[in-house]
Formats: sequence, structure tokens, C-alpha cells
Amino acid sequence: MKRAFGTPVVDYVPALVMLAVTVGYLAIAYTYTPQARLFPVPVGWLMLALLALDVVSRTKTPIGESLTRLLNPAAEVEGAEPRYPVLRQLSALLWVGLFTAALVLIGIMYAVPLYVFGSMRFHGRKSYQTSLIAAVCVTAFTWVLFAFALQVELYPGALFSDF
Amino acid sequence: MLEFWFSGFVSLLQPDTIAFLILGMGIGLFVGVLPGLGGTTALALLTPVTYGLEPVSALALAGGVMGGVPMGGAVTAILLNTPGQTANAVTCLDGYPLAQQGKAGLAIGAAASANAIGGIIGTISVLAILPVATELVLAFGPPEFFLIALLGLVLVATTTRGKMLRALVAGALGLMIASIGYNDVTGGQRFTLGTEYLWDGVHLAPALVGLFAVAEMMHLTIKGGTIAKADSDIQITNIGEGLFETFRHWPTVLRGSIIGTAVGAIPGVGVTVASFLSYSMTVQASKDPESFGKGNIKGVIAPEAAINAKDGAALIPTLAFGLPGGAEMAVFMGILILHGMQPGPLILMQHQSEIYSLIWALTASCILASFVGLLFARPLARLTRIDTQLLAPVIIALSLVGSYAIDMVIENVILSAVFGVIGYLMIRFDYPRITLVVALVLAALAERNYHQSMLMGDESWSIFFTRIPSAVLVIFVIFSVLSPFIRAWLRRPAAAGASSA
Repeated sequence: MKRAFGTPVVDYVPALVMLAVTVGYLAIAYTYTPQARLFPVPVGWLMLALLALDVVSRTKTPIGESLTRLLNPAAEVEGAEPRYPVLRQLSALLWVGLFTAALVLIGIMYAVPLYVFGSMRFHGRKSYQTSLIAAVCVTAFTWVLFAFALQVELYPGALFSDF
Repeated sequence: MLEFWFSGFVSLLQPDTIAFLILGMGIGLFVGVLPGLGGTTALALLTPVTYGLEPVSALALAGGVMGGVPMGGAVTAILLNTPGQTANAVTCLDGYPLAQQGKAGLAIGAAASANAIGGIIGTISVLAILPVATELVLAFGPPEFFLIALLGLVLVATTTRGKMLRALVAGALGLMIASIGYNDVTGGQRFTLGTEYLWDGVHLAPALVGLFAVAEMMHLTIKGGTIAKADSDIQITNIGEGLFETFRHWPTVLRGSIIGTAVGAIPGVGVTVASFLSYSMTVQASKDPESFGKGNIKGVIAPEAAINAKDGAALIPTLAFGLPGGAEMAVFMGILILHGMQPGPLILMQHQSEIYSLIWALTASCILASFVGLLFARPLARLTRIDTQLLAPVIIALSLVGSYAIDMVIENVILSAVFGVIGYLMIRFDYPRITLVVALVLAALAERNYHQSMLMGDESWSIFFTRIPSAVLVIFVIFSVLSPFIRAWLRRPAAAGASSA
């Protein structure tokens, strides 16, 4: 695993991504009238300062360790997440992404059974039978709760509607 | 006055009114358990249903829902670390660690009794305050509203002990996200990048579905296994002990109820702030603040008492001034108007009996929901032994469909998914999510009232110091910022003594 200043490079990524987002946020904020940017500009600069401190505090340098002791003493001790395989994490994110795309494209009544079955069978390694029963039950429950009891018009999907 | 209290109570005892109260409580409990749905959605969806009902029955149904939701939300917050509604997010902080330690029953029992007691104290407060509500709310202006928001924000940092810097980063991120959309002050759009859906800003409810329900389930599928590692972890054997735990910690429940009542009486501040403030104050008042976040029972009692006390108190501005305390109250106002009761000072004169029925209904629902919640706690606890590969797809599917059902717009689903990814990354990289939520909730309130305060004070900050209520709030803000440092400084001699010994 690549390291910078004694810390895995991946640990800097969130702060650096947020840094880039904040720079963009500030650039847009400065295009607004003084009244409209009265609140966003100080928030943006505050974020930049905090992110700079965050990046430094993640290093294993004397300054970084002092900052951690002072401002984040529990961060690396108790809250640190175990490092799961990247593929497993990406797979979980991908399934949610696919489900969202399916909801948008083919609608709730098709997307829900497909997602529940697919996620349980191929991601969770459950049997075909268990996955199928769960998919049918969840779809039926979704219809009874939302369409029947709460009278929600279930989204039919971009491919099947004029939404 | 007393005759209206009594007549309101008597009208609640009619069989059909009791039936609607129980139905509303059941719906509230059920909706509260489902992450992403909440009182606002349930009330909005029930509004057309109440049209054919008598006003008292309609108010009993609405009161039942409002009383039942918090208990349902507490159960999932404790067992699954997935709050049923925003305010229960604070309950997760200590409720879930307790469940992981096999003390789910203790936490649920304490939450139930804190809910009931908070509801009763909230009712007593409403009954006492409603007649003098005008003076109370009129004492607050934009400077005080801004400072209340600021107080909530600075407490964000101080309560996430040991992660103050990352909490502040998450809070600032929340402020940035909250500035997306229509700006009340200038009347223009900001940061929407041409997306029409974002004109109203980032919708809070779908964002919370993503941050908590979706993110937590993604995290569980990645971890694998079950939430409770063994059957012994979900033995709910301490419910009775949990019930009495609330009475043992009576200052905590009293403090939470008072905070809930005070915050509830201020329009627009919201139940999340009440639960968060209650938790923060309890941490700060504790002799053992490090135990919070690791399964301290007071961390469950404090927010739960505040949530139900707040529900009652939120009726004060809603009824007396037509100022809804939050989204739930705004929808509730719609039910009042539908039944010919225009919120405002006149409602207290023209519909006293119905209003006091509602207050009693809310209280009865809180107590009833606590008992019913306890009855179903054991089967609900079994949820924690289900394989996460089975549980997660079900919860994610229901959460995203629930997110769509809030406004019936598909963009809600996309927003929930995006916030689900953000939430997971925050778990992965150890940024507290709760601070982002509090910033999202408070940002609009803070910005609007800051602008108005500046206008009132001719662009001078002196406006915050020249009014007694705001000066008091400034002192609270300063004390909150400095309290961790003061506490550390006070402990230095003791720590130095211990190390030298």
C-alpha cells in the first residue's frame, strides 16, 4: 500500500476530493451578488481551513500527531473502520447504483423484485429459492403499503411513462 | 380553562375517538420503524383520509401518529443504528452500542419510559404555557433565532468527543450542501447547476434516508454476518430495568423534557435540534463524558425525552400563531384548516375543546406507543439476528421506495442514493454523519436570521449583545465552544497528580 508521510495515500483522498469540491464551490460563490454570497463565502473558506488541518492531522509527522492529539484523539483509536477489500466495497456501491438506475428506468414494480433477487442471489450468495421468495414478498409488501394503503402512485419508470 | 381541559379529556374517551387514536398510534409506530418515512409523510398521506371524520376524531388520529412515530424510530435506532426519523439519529449514538453489548432491552425500556415521561411533561408544559404563549414567542426575534441555530452548530463539535476536527469538516460540508437552492434573502438560485429539482434545496428527508438507512445497509453488507453476533446479544431481558433506569436518571429525563419543551416552543427549530441539544447538554453535564457514544444509557434517555416533550410544545406556536414548528406541524396545520380550524390566536378561543382533546390524544398516544413498542420489542429484536445479506436489500428497497413516496418524485431516489454513498464514505473514513445532518437542518434558519439581524442592527453585530435573550444565548454559545477546553484544563492538575504518583 502506497504511503505518504507515513499514512496510506487512500486516507487523504476524501479530504482532497472535498478540497477540490470546495474550491469549485467558492469559485461559483464569487459569481453571486455580495448579498447572495454573504453566507457561502465564509463557509467555503472555513471548509478550506478545516480540510487543510484534516490533511495535516492525518500525516504521521510531529505536527500531524499533535493535531490529532488535540482535535481528533479518538479518530484513529476507536472509530477507525477495518479495511475491507476494495472490490467488496465497490460491489456494494454498484448494487445500490444499479438499483437506483433501475428504479428510474423501469419503475418501482419491476426494479424492486429484480434488485432484491439479484442482490441476494449474486451479492449475498443466497439460494435461488430464498432470493425468489424474498423478492416476491418485498414486492408484494411494497405494493400493499405504498400503492394500496398509502395510495401512492408508484413510479412506472422513464421507459414506460411520459414523466 | 379547567372546564376545557376536562371537556377535551372527556371527548377523547368516546369509543370512536379512542379507536382513531389507537389506529393513529399503530400507524405512527409502524411508520416510525420504517427508515425514511416519518410523521410528516404519514400525516401528509392521512390528510385526505381525515376529511370525512369528525374534527375530534381527525385530531385523535393525527395525535396518535405524532405520538407513535418517535417510539417506532427509537426501536430501529437502537437495534439497527438506522433512525426511523431524523431526531432518533441521536439515539443511535448510545442506543446501538448498547444493543451491540446485548443490552437492547435496557435501551428500549429506557427509551419507552423516557418517551412516555417526556410526553407527559410536554403536555403539562403546553397546558401551562399555551395561555401565555404570546409573550414567550414574541420575546424571540431574528438575533435569537440565529443564535439558537449557532448554538446548535457549535454543539456539533463539542459532542463528538475525540473527533472534533472531522465533526467540524462534516458540519461545514453540511452548510455547503444546505446553501444549494433558492435563497430566501436575495430571491435567487444558488449552486443548483441548472437542476430544477434542486431549486427547493436539498430535500432533507430523502437525504437522511440515504445518509442513515442506505449507508448503514451498505456498510452492513460489506461487513457481512449479522448485527448481533450471537443469540445472547439480542436477549431482551432487561426491559424492566430499562424502564426504571429512566427514573434513576430523573435529572436527565427532566433536562431533556425541559429542553424539548423550550425548543418545541420556538417555531422552525425542529425536533432534531431538541434531541441533539438534550444529548449535548447531558454529555456536558456528565462526570463521565467519555462514556457517551459507547453505550451510556443517559445517551438514550436524554434525546428520547426531548423528542416527545418537543412534540407537545411544538403545538404552542402552531396553534397560537399559526407558525409551524417544523414540517410535521406544517402538515398538521393543513389538517386543522381542512376541518375549519384556522391556526392563530382565535383557535384558542373558538376551538378550545378540540385543541385540548388533541393535547390529551398526543399524550395518550405517547404512553400507549411506549407500551406497545415494548410489547413488540422482542420480535423486533430478532431483526438483529437476520443475515445482513438478507436484511440489507429489503431495507434498501423499502427505503428508496419510501424516499420516492415522500414527494412522489423520482429525483428523491437519486438524492437518497447519492447521500447513501456519501454516508458510507463518511463511515469508511470516520467522519461523524450527525454533524452534517445538524448543519443541514440549521443552515437555512441561521442564514435567514443572520441577514435579518444585520438589517435590524444596521450591519452591526451589537444587535446580538444589546438584547437580553440574545446576550444570554451568546454566553451559552461561548460556554459551549470553550467547555471541552475548560474541562481538559480543569482535569490537568488531577492528571498530573496521578501521573506523578
